[in-house]
Amino acid sequence: MAIHIDNIRNYILKQENNSKVQSMPFRILADCDAPVSKYFETGVKVQEDETQKASFRGYPLRGKTVELPEGYIGVVLHESIAPVSDKEERKFHVTNKFKTLTYWNWDKAPSKNDKIIQALDWIDVAEALHSPITEE
Amino acid sequence: MQKIDDLETLRSFLASKDNTVNNVYFSDVPQVCKDFPCILGIDEAGRGPVLGPMVYGTAFCPLNEATLPDSLGCADSKALNEESRDVIFSKICANRKMGWGVEVIAPNSICNSMLSRQKYSLNQVSMDAAINLIKMALKGGVNLSHVYVDTVGPPEKYQAYLKSLFPNVGVTVAKKADSTFPIVSAASICAKVTRDYALKGWGFGEGLQAGHEEFGSGYPGDPNTKKFLQNYRDPVFGYPHLVRFSWSTASEALKEAYHVDWEENEEVIPIGNTSITEFFKMTKNRGARSLHDFFTTRCLSRKVEF
Repeated sequence: MAIHIDNIRNYILKQENNSKVQSMPFRILADCDAPVSKYFETGVKVQEDETQKASFRGYPLRGKTVELPEGYIGVVLHESIAPVSDKEERKFHVTNKFKTLTYWNWDKAPSKNDKIIQALDWIDVAEALHSPITEE
Repeated sequence: MQKIDDLETLRSFLASKDNTVNNVYFSDVPQVCKDFPCILGIDEAGRGPVLGPMVYGTAFCPLNEATLPDSLGCADSKALNEESRDVIFSKICANRKMGWGVEVIAPNSICNSMLSRQKYSLNQVSMDAAINLIKMALKGGVNLSHVYVDTVGPPEKYQAYLKSLFPNVGVTVAKKADSTFPIVSAASICAKVTRDYALKGWGFGEGLQAGHEEFGSGYPGDPNTKKFLQNYRDPVFGYPHLVRFSWSTASEALKEAYHVDWEENEEVIPIGNTSITEFFKMTKNRGARSLHDFFTTRCLSRKVEF
């Protein structure tokens, strides 16, 4: 299986605006636009420790905004045709890019044990494992 | 702190506050209430509705003026209509021997409590509000002699609990206390008037242009409230902060919206019960490498074979 991403370099160079990405602790079984700024962002409250509080359908959420590490960029990908089997080639195109993302926990204070924060550890490890070895 | 001394200042107080969080108001404590032993009543308004805040109210006056609430017309508050409640509320505000206070519990904070990980019930929310009002009275210097609290739940345990918190104050917790004790009736009027004004003047942070006529009283049986829940449903977010999502009326109405699957936080850790012979079996998928724990605990997986 191979993955193709269309035009990634062009897109990133061309795009000036970063999009606002929020990771929610749930899945909405729909694929559509949503009035996020109207219903969600109006209810976001920044706390003294810079974490955030908000609600979704009455559920209390605790969130934190994290910056992606230096030298990295986040991209939002779209796949027009979903694969039928996992052997197939897959084709994505870039729809947006981001430099920060906000993740939300259901009623749990953000901590360094959160999955997203931990996933970002890989970047440091990958850096150590895969950066070219220079002769010193 | 803005002062509330009539219906107009009540309205502007409510309009100036963030209605997605709890807000408390406590009147000045009259000197007589500091000098002489007082009785204090507590009651709530807006427990049942699916829309708007629940309000806890308190009123207090000197023990030797115990007929005061009665003389202002604070009889059984349930038997009074809206207009007479407004009139009595204004009289309570103007009276120099009585003090009062309210805690406006936002619909959002009610559902946040009920939908938290360690479910915090409406009764617990109510008790906290009552306790807070008593503490505020004591902090304000009210010479508290006896507290009367209306309850919907069993009174005995609640009364014992309040007594343990306030050992120097007499405590009576009773069902329908608002029709038995005029001071509780006065508290009930403060709560009910505040609740009505909070709902009528509700400003939608979401920018919805619906007025009070459209969403009605908030009681699940009110045809306007029903219509509002039908017509103002967003398929993703459901409803604005006015709505108590934790009410069955709201969750029923939300079955029409998109389904939401919450992340399952419990990880299933397989218990190692592998028999020793398992290790000697020939397996076909020897090539399939499983990822190191480092990756699986971080929800990282490989999307491309190298």
